Amino acid sequence: MIDGSQVLVTAGIILAFALNGAVIFTILDVKGASWMQRRPGPLHVGLRGFIFPLAEIIKFFQKEDITPTNVDSAVFKWAPAYVLASVFGLFVVVPISPTLVGSDLDLGVFYLLAISSLSTLGVLTAGWSSANKYSLMGGIRAAGQLIAYELPLILAVVGVVIQAETMSLVGIVEKQIEFGLPFVLSGQGLAFLIFMVAATAEMMRVPFDMPIGESELVSGFLTEYSGVRFLIFYIAEYMNMFVLCAVASTLFLGGYHVPLLPTEWVNFYGPVVLLTKTVLLGFILVLVRWSFPRFREDQLQNLAWKVLIPLSLLNILITSIMKVVF
Amino acid sequence: MDENLNSGSIPYVSEASVSVEIETEDMTLNIGPQHPSTHGVLRLVAKVDGEKISSVEPVLGYMHRGYEKLAEVRTYPQITTLVNRIDWVSGFANEIPFIAATEKLMEIEAPERAKHIRLILTEMARIASHFVFNGAYALEIGALTPIFLAMEDRERILDLIESVTGGRFHPNFNRIGGIKPAAGSGPTTKKNIQDLPAGFYQDTRDAMEKVLEAVERMENLVGGNEVFKIRTKGVGIISKELAEEYGVSGPILRASGVKFDLRSQTDFLPYDKFDYDIPIGENGDCYDRWYVRLMEMKESAKIILQAIDSMPSGPLQTKVPKVIKVPKGQSYVRTENPKGEMGYYVISEGGLGPYRLKVRTPSFSNISILPVLLEGQLLPDLIAIMGSLDFVLGDVDR
Amino acid sequence: MNLSNNVEFVESLTAAFPSLENSFDTLKITVKSSDWIDTVDKLKNEFELTYFSWLSAIDWDNEVAIGDPPKEPVTPHFEILCCLSDSFAGNLVIVSTQIDKETPQIPSLVGVFAGSNWHEREAYEMFGIEFINHPNLTKMYLPDDYEGNPMLKSFELISREVKPWPGEVDVEGMPDDGKEEGES
Repeated sequence: MIDGSQVLVTAGIILAFALNGAVIFTILDVKGASWMQRRPGPLHVGLRGFIFPLAEIIKFFQKEDITPTNVDSAVFKWAPAYVLASVFGLFVVVPISPTLVGSDLDLGVFYLLAISSLSTLGVLTAGWSSANKYSLMGGIRAAGQLIAYELPLILAVVGVVIQAETMSLVGIVEKQIEFGLPFVLSGQGLAFLIFMVAATAEMMRVPFDMPIGESELVSGFLTEYSGVRFLIFYIAEYMNMFVLCAVASTLFLGGYHVPLLPTEWVNFYGPVVLLTKTVLLGFILVLVRWSFPRFREDQLQNLAWKVLIPLSLLNILITSIMKVVF
Repeated sequence: MDENLNSGSIPYVSEASVSVEIETEDMTLNIGPQHPSTHGVLRLVAKVDGEKISSVEPVLGYMHRGYEKLAEVRTYPQITTLVNRIDWVSGFANEIPFIAATEKLMEIEAPERAKHIRLILTEMARIASHFVFNGAYALEIGALTPIFLAMEDRERILDLIESVTGGRFHPNFNRIGGIKPAAGSGPTTKKNIQDLPAGFYQDTRDAMEKVLEAVERMENLVGGNEVFKIRTKGVGIISKELAEEYGVSGPILRASGVKFDLRSQTDFLPYDKFDYDIPIGENGDCYDRWYVRLMEMKESAKIILQAIDSMPSGPLQTKVPKVIKVPKGQSYVRTENPKGEMGYYVISEGGLGPYRLKVRTPSFSNISILPVLLEGQLLPDLIAIMGSLDFVLGDVDR
Repeated sequence: MNLSNNVEFVESLTAAFPSLENSFDTLKITVKSSDWIDTVDKLKNEFELTYFSWLSAIDWDNEVAIGDPPKEPVTPHFEILCCLSDSFAGNLVIVSTQIDKETPQIPSLVGVFAGSNWHEREAYEMFGIEFINHPNLTKMYLPDDYEGNPMLKSFELISREVKPWPGEVDVEGMPDDGKEEGES
């Protein structure tokens, strides 16, 4: 049985991991952007600007928390917390090392995909309750997009599950260690691409940022939010980005382990390896974000339903055949 | 309730056929006057059915400053400061047609050197304006990086304009019958006229090299992007006939395949001495409009390089009376502003100021096509189309 | 000077419109207001002037609230101007007509050039000229409840009333300007 103190410790570790992940990705995004745009970026706070997220957080706390008159107050106020909680829940099953994992569920993948679709509701209610037409359109766009991309995300993971013969995330990593190669190099390359594209859409990042789409919808479902509530959305966004990258590296890139390193020491280098992989994936997302324009809503839906879903079904088919043959 | 159940008109819910067509009311979406991509304070009242636009009504006037009325109470030299501010992205290019119209009425002509300098600065204004367009358009499509690169490149051009005129946006550099001596060149006496700052030629050559580089980079970064292509190709097609009927001019008209550039029809600026191409588009869609402007920057850079090499020497000002009075007459002069046909119809009654000044601005006519163009488009395409028209609100409202 | 008004074009135009005058390289045809639409239509279809540049008006009046009145007295009237051009050679013609101030009405050009819509709306609010058969003759720039037509010569510029503009003073040379010529 799990006692209370262990739950607290686990929660503390996850919280630290998640929040630090969000901070790291914020720095990565902002510094990456300034590097790509030939400008200095944040310079003055701390070590050449590297602790500016702290200043950012303080700034948001100082700002007035505005609740517009006509909003559905309760929903409007709680939507950010709901989104944050649903993202936070994702961290529970991500193994940082074989032992350092919130809960190694047997149905880890299933749990992950189920929880990741919860944030849709939060975004939709945020858009709906804001009493703003732009927010409403942003919320509805977000709902349509998240539902559309949930499917390729799940189907891409199914290939991994078939190959690993388990739904536990630790089990999947162990399988990759056993096999000697991460899944991305041993049959699941296509699934990895599909997963990353779908995950980018789930994060609502460029080129899939229509729900926010500042040149069209001002700020989409975030339009009416300010102060701390905006900050919570902001943290949730980066945490979501971090956790999806961590999941991708767990499922496809071998998680906390790299080939050739001794498995006995995995508890020591595991977190570092996972973090490195996650940050590298995040860096790719940063490159994509700052160089791509955004899709149109119908093109986005076409991409999901006409390209990604058939491709991921094909991937499942191939994987099953290979599984049976070998 | 009971009656209905017992009457048997709808025995089972499953058997009731749904024949009612669901009619939804269109939502009125107010885009602007404060909106990130309306280039200032344009307001569009759009009726939208989901993402689809059923009609759009532009509402103007949030930037109306009444320049035509103000011009009636100004003297001719004072009006140049006004016309600078019509299209603030390319301030210098606005002065040219007004000065040309006035000079024509006074039957004087600026010296060759002044004309060359005017031409160089006009082309620089064009490059600066197109840089803004290139950055802002990519931003509207959703790419955030190009605007930073474009603004950095534009800064070099603005620095050059500033080094000559003393002003970045509103140079107010033209005088009737010539140009003002350059900024920072000390007191102007007859012996000491420094029209261009030291090192201007070399700086300009360097900057033009950079412009050509920037154009290439922009072509790869933005034009080479598949997402940009599918967002702009085939979107917002303006046919040649539609464009002409609405008086759409400049790069938009040329993108629709009309090879019509007013630069080739001027002789108050010596464009005929230089070689340049007039880039035209094929389809008249957003991509063509973007591409035509990008190519125009290249051509402008070429013109500037040639103009620098063939710069004549001589005075900057022709002889004009101390108090400028324009004889009675009417004259319309139009030039190729970066955004299209910019023209001034000066009606003089022989006084110190014009009796009436009609300002024909390109953006006003260019966006008058919006209601026709946007009907039935999707909301993201509205932004793509609106951005591709490259208007400035000061130019629309005057 | 700015327009390549080639000789053949001017000659063919003169044959059709004897009232053609060429003032400072600006070709101007003056027609009766009853011929307004026909003239524009003819220019569009027969002379290939398919590009609609602009439409505006002038308020000719001897009594002006601001600015200078005309040198020679005129009969008060509105002059409507419409500028057409082609899109290959740069030929440009301004069509002009006169209407009286008592009944400022003129047929709308929207049927010939759809682009004249906004230009006519602007002339309507600025001068109070009514364009008959215009689809949507509402104010363009000004608020809906605004009264008056600002571009009329009788319309006072309030700011000018309150604080006179320095006006001509600026035209005098600056004190340390010496005897430079050509400075304005």
